[in-house]
Amino acid sequence: DVPVLISEDIVISQPAKILNFLRKQKYNADYELSAKQGADTLAYIALIEEKLLPALLHTFWVEAENYCSVTKPWFASRIAFPLSLYLPGKMSREALNRILLTRGGPPVYTLTEVEAQIYRDAKECLNLLSKRLGTSQFFFGDTPTTLDAFVFGFLAPIYKVCFPRVQLQEHLKQLPNLCRFCDDILTCYFRLTVSGHSPSGQDTADANLQKLTQLVNKESNLIEKMDDNLRKSPQHPPRKLTTLKLAAGGEGSPLNRLSP
Amino acid sequence: ATLCFQAFLQMCNLPIQVVCRANAEYMSPSGKLPFIHVGNQVVSELGPIVQFVKAKGHSLSDGLDEVQKAEMKAYMELVNNMLLTAELYLQWCDDVTVEEITHPRYGSPYPWPLNRILSYQKQWEVRRKMKAIGWAGKTLQQVLEDVDQCCQALSQRLGTQQYFFNKQPTELDALVFGHLFTILTTQLTTDELSEKVKNYSNLTAFCRRIEQQFFEGHDRDSSTTAAARSTKRSLLR
Repeated sequence: DVPVLISEDIVISQPAKILNFLRKQKYNADYELSAKQGADTLAYIALIEEKLLPALLHTFWVEAENYCSVTKPWFASRIAFPLSLYLPGKMSREALNRILLTRGGPPVYTLTEVEAQIYRDAKECLNLLSKRLGTSQFFFGDTPTTLDAFVFGFLAPIYKVCFPRVQLQEHLKQLPNLCRFCDDILTCYFRLTVSGHSPSGQDTADANLQKLTQLVNKESNLIEKMDDNLRKSPQHPPRKLTTLKLAAGGEGSPLNRLSP
Repeated sequence: ATLCFQAFLQMCNLPIQVVCRANAEYMSPSGKLPFIHVGNQVVSELGPIVQFVKAKGHSLSDGLDEVQKAEMKAYMELVNNMLLTAELYLQWCDDVTVEEITHPRYGSPYPWPLNRILSYQKQWEVRRKMKAIGWAGKTLQQVLEDVDQCCQALSQRLGTQQYFFNKQPTELDALVFGHLFTILTTQLTTDELSEKVKNYSNLTAFCRRIEQQFFEGHDRDSSTTAAARSTKRSLLR
């Protein structure tokens, strides 16, 4: 069952429970929102689930060319054998089932009519999202919220995955503000720098450096103590020890001095 | 859902006559109720009816800008997603309600054994749909929490305004009124669902207001000016 969050010993699945868990840990992207904006978030999420999700499911799992050439090999490569032979097919059948049960039925009788209807709805939904976003960076101003993450989660696969049949992607590309929105989030939060670290990885590199500095200082204190002991003993003449200092920009030199 | 349509059509100032039929589901072009019969055309479901009425020159949401229209559509989906699904769940997936209320009511126009067969068939259909969208695994408590969340969102959106958008009612007001009024007035085995709605005083006040403005006034008019009304009735039946 994906997505799954593993935090130390705790394993949580289902998006709603993961969000609750993160909120309890004091991570809340909607902290600054007003009550009305919170209500708007729920409404837009409902809109996307009703109008955009069926077409997304269809593009990934039901459209034969897309499924056979991209989705199935992609998912199968990430699932262990022998489940890789069975699970993608099951997910495809479930997707079709869901589409037919929620959007099929009279007056649309054939699969082609259902498909036409769901793509019409999806395109309308994309238009509505584009109108709502307008020229802002995110849906509620300058900082991203849960709604931005949700919309991104739906738009990015449509935008980026290279399918043979791409009517939804073509429609999305005609809405430049939504493309800009996806690109911005990809650059800010999913970027890889030249060294291969993500921006949050750069922070951990700094933290590691700090730890290393502390370690070096500890070691130098230990060496000082050893030298003190030696000095107190009568056999060896006293000698001065220069304490190691790590300046802001000069991390290289003390480390070099320590290394053998 | 019938109430949503009645409210919408009355907000557009279009006179209507409500008729009950046992085979209504079969008469409807989409199998869903209610539907309207105008001249030689039959249209069902809120979306197509709104389009149809708009094509005839009546619209409630013309005064809204693009962003507001997007918001209105989003809130209508929220109501469909949460309230309508919760109502269906309660009617067809909660065993107590199904046995005591839904089966007898749904099967009432038909003789035995047709009444049981048809209501079991409908129940099976609804349960299949619930399973496909992931609601089959929910407990009644979870469904009621979802209803509460939806009502909270609607209450926050409505705030102290008279209607959801500006001073004029729109399709969203008709839809919300239809669902909330039904929840508040339908007798079920427990009052938990209506209690959830009653927690939000601005929503109950909203329902009351719409009822007074569009339903009680209409009933009074129709009894006094029957002659004048009969000429109008040919437009919409």
